[in-house]
Amino acid sequence: MSDSALLNLILYLPVIGMVLLVPARSDGAVRQITFWTMLLQFALTAWLYLQFQPGVAGLQFETRLPWIASWGVHYHIGLDGFNVLLVLLTAFLGPLVVAGAFSAITKDVKLFYAMVFLIQFTMLGTFVAQDLFLFYVFWEAMLIPMFLIIGIWGGERRIYATVKFVLYTAFGSILMLAAIIYLVYSLQQGTGVTSFSFAELYRHRLPVDIQGWLLAAFALSFAIKVPIVPLHTWLPDAHVEAPTAGSVILAGVLLKMGTYGFIKLGFPLFPDAARAASNWVMLAAVVSIVYGACLALVQTDIKKIIAYSSISHLGYVMLGLASLDLIGIQGAIIQMVSHGLTAAGLFLMVGMIYERCHTRDLAAYGGLAKVLPVYSVFFMVLTLAAIGLPTTSGFTGEFLVLLGAFNAAWPSYTAGQSVPLVMAVTAVTGVVLGAMYMLYFAQRFLYGAVKVPHGPVTDLNFRERAILVTLVAAVFWLGLFPNEALRKTEVAALQYQKWVDVAARPAATASAPISLPTVRNGEGTR
Amino acid sequence: MNWSFMIVAMLPEHMLLAGIVVLIGLDVAQVGKEHSGLVALLAVAVAALIAVMLAIVQFQGSPFPGHFSVDQGTMAAKAVVLALALLLVQMSRDEFGSDERFYILLLSSLYGVLLVSSADGFLTMFLGLEIMSMPVYVLVLIAYQRHEAAEAALKYLVLGGAASAMFLMGASLVYGATGSLALDAFVQAAQAHDTLASVAVVLVLIAFFLKAAVVPFHAWAPDAYEAASVPVTAYMATLIKAGVLLAVLRIFGTATFGSPLVDLLAILPLISIVWGNLAAMRQTSFRRMIAYSSIAHAGYLFYALLGPGPTRLQAVVFYLLAYGLMNVLAFASLPSGPDDLRRDRLDGMRALFQRQPYAAVLLAIALLSLAGIPPFPGFVAKFLIFKNVIAAGYTVYAVLGLVGSYLGIYFYLRVIQLMFMGSQPETPSDGRIALGAGVLCLLPTILLTVFPGFFIGLVGR
Repeated sequence: MSDSALLNLILYLPVIGMVLLVPARSDGAVRQITFWTMLLQFALTAWLYLQFQPGVAGLQFETRLPWIASWGVHYHIGLDGFNVLLVLLTAFLGPLVVAGAFSAITKDVKLFYAMVFLIQFTMLGTFVAQDLFLFYVFWEAMLIPMFLIIGIWGGERRIYATVKFVLYTAFGSILMLAAIIYLVYSLQQGTGVTSFSFAELYRHRLPVDIQGWLLAAFALSFAIKVPIVPLHTWLPDAHVEAPTAGSVILAGVLLKMGTYGFIKLGFPLFPDAARAASNWVMLAAVVSIVYGACLALVQTDIKKIIAYSSISHLGYVMLGLASLDLIGIQGAIIQMVSHGLTAAGLFLMVGMIYERCHTRDLAAYGGLAKVLPVYSVFFMVLTLAAIGLPTTSGFTGEFLVLLGAFNAAWPSYTAGQSVPLVMAVTAVTGVVLGAMYMLYFAQRFLYGAVKVPHGPVTDLNFRERAILVTLVAAVFWLGLFPNEALRKTEVAALQYQKWVDVAARPAATASAPISLPTVRNGEGTR
Repeated sequence: MNWSFMIVAMLPEHMLLAGIVVLIGLDVAQVGKEHSGLVALLAVAVAALIAVMLAIVQFQGSPFPGHFSVDQGTMAAKAVVLALALLLVQMSRDEFGSDERFYILLLSSLYGVLLVSSADGFLTMFLGLEIMSMPVYVLVLIAYQRHEAAEAALKYLVLGGAASAMFLMGASLVYGATGSLALDAFVQAAQAHDTLASVAVVLVLIAFFLKAAVVPFHAWAPDAYEAASVPVTAYMATLIKAGVLLAVLRIFGTATFGSPLVDLLAILPLISIVWGNLAAMRQTSFRRMIAYSSIAHAGYLFYALLGPGPTRLQAVVFYLLAYGLMNVLAFASLPSGPDDLRRDRLDGMRALFQRQPYAAVLLAIALLSLAGIPPFPGFVAKFLIFKNVIAAGYTVYAVLGLVGSYLGIYFYLRVIQLMFMGSQPETPSDGRIALGAGVLCLLPTILLTVFPGFFIGLVGR
């Protein structure tokens, strides 16, 4: 009972923080209030995470109250294996985002932190919602703070970028809204129950052609947010123009709302259609991986490199989800968190250098390792984590995803169908390309002749070091001890597999070249 | 049928009438004119309170059979109308001070709105529509601040007259076909496939489309909205629209429609949604933009007629509540500029947040809600309408309507973009906002956002 109150407290803490901001007089007070509220939120969430019982199917810390009773809409929130890591990630990044923006944001400070609170609230709400109506409300409400964050504190073309972002995402959402209404209506027709509850909707199975339409509407909305190529064109603009905090939130958490949507709603709600489309989803994922990596290779704007690398990395998540293999699914969940940490870290570091040198042009930089040794160490660590060096979180995620993809592709290969295997192999080239663009970037950025625009510059201060130490610690924690996180998500991954796969390929995982439970850390198998 | 019943059934109307009489008395006697705003506010408040109470006790009956009847649904509708009127009167007090002519006309028009929503026969309906419309022609002109006001009022008058003529023609055709002036007879005639009745239905519908400014009968609205003073524009955008929609619901009620009529009822509102939202993108005047936005909203409101019969009144009344509230909030938080022309320019609203943060935030909430972005009430209202449309089986129309509503997001966001992200304009539209009305709107907005279910339950089954 008190546990569910804790989850509610965590969810509404940002709202309380917003109210606290109203009477604050000075910018300093605003920053302090925001930071400590966020830190408190993270502390509570960490406590919640430790309380979370692995191996328990179903929701924990659940609250369910009627909201719009006549429509069957409930205020229903809870934690399960799907969202627990993402909630932790969101709460973890909160104080870092706030601390990272201390020196960068000097205009309309109060509004800025209010919007950071608001986006934190809506993102957490999206993750913990267990009612489709509530989910949609949070999902769509997220647009408002992001619109303002990019539009007010962004770069030169901020208005273009933010309008593009909103119009892209809103288009997906509006079709999803139609699909939601139709889905609930058909549930009512089929069973007589009017409900927006996820659990209720999972149980209801529609004819496959209707599933296809509804999945298309949901998938469009989620795919825009992930984003999957070719719906990605808003992302580079939004990332480049957003202030550092905006980029960090965007890359760290917001993009995961798309993949979370797929794993929690898109595929399990429409399993037959999802299975039918799984090869296409895989194809889209592989295209995203390779295309994103290729584009990252040729960028000259350092923010764009990381933006395109996000597309590539989230392609792995989609690949793992589409593989329907337990290892792949778990890998996808880990990869979501891992990307959240590394991309957030890299964007923060880009922000730090931008504050000092006022340019994002890669050609303007060189040999930073000699001038900014501490910065360079952190940058290198995060770069290697993004590449997926063993012992970092990136390795755990990518490796498990690729393993899952092979596991899934192998039976169909032995059955004479080689397309999935070809796709899995192609996805591996993404790892090589990833190493290429990131190392190429790091090489030109950190080594060679010293070029520092607007120099001389000072190395990282205490605040910045503290932020990065925290992030790097998390990266290694997830890389060295993924078992802990995997244990908490295992039941959810199994559930997802069961929902979507429904004995369609009973022998699939059994005849896979590598059997299930032995692979956990997978050190050095690459 | 006893007298007390007849009086109670029309008590909200009587309260307005009492208010009008007192106001005229004050005017004639030339005393206490400075309190005329307060008198109007009081009359509307009492009427609203009575309507709410009558709705809660589920009062129903027909004091004048065949002409006037009330039930819980109509009482809830009246309560919503009067509650919105209360906010409008409060806002007008900031704007007009104590111009008693204004309040007399406003209350008269309001009386028409209430009459229309209870009408059972064409006679009462026509009376109500005329009582509702006539004062507005004058209101557009009253205290005019622009030369175009006369032109706009004339345009409105001519088109309003044309609408009335068409309504009368339709009613007389129905009378010719059925020999009855009851609204039930009209519905039956509408369902029968006979030429005379079809012509009558189309004529009556066009009359309402004209009055509600549905494309292609919308041309008067942008001019009239732009030229009228701010409270009058707000009145036209909310309560006149409410009156027209309640009248339409009164006539078509819970009837199910056949194929050609359904298409007429879906396609014109759909075009209205799309065109209203597209045209609003290009506007430079705030009121003109709201006019096009209200054209689009008329489309959503008529969409409610596609839903299953018993759900229509609830959907429309809840939509009117959310939409009206947001419109009043938007107009109330519009800063009064150096003159009317500049106050109206979207350009002058640039960087409003830096100058008047609270006005900008209030305006932003109103606009986001009008755009239908959750969690604001506009979203729930739109959701209810489209839910009903899908439940009635018109999935394609619902999807098209939703896509049309997507087109609207841009221009609402553009205003927010100007207010929060623009650079300071040369001639900023500074000045006080109707703070009283704004705060009065904000409270129900928050309640509607947090407890939408409660209000949905209030306005219907």
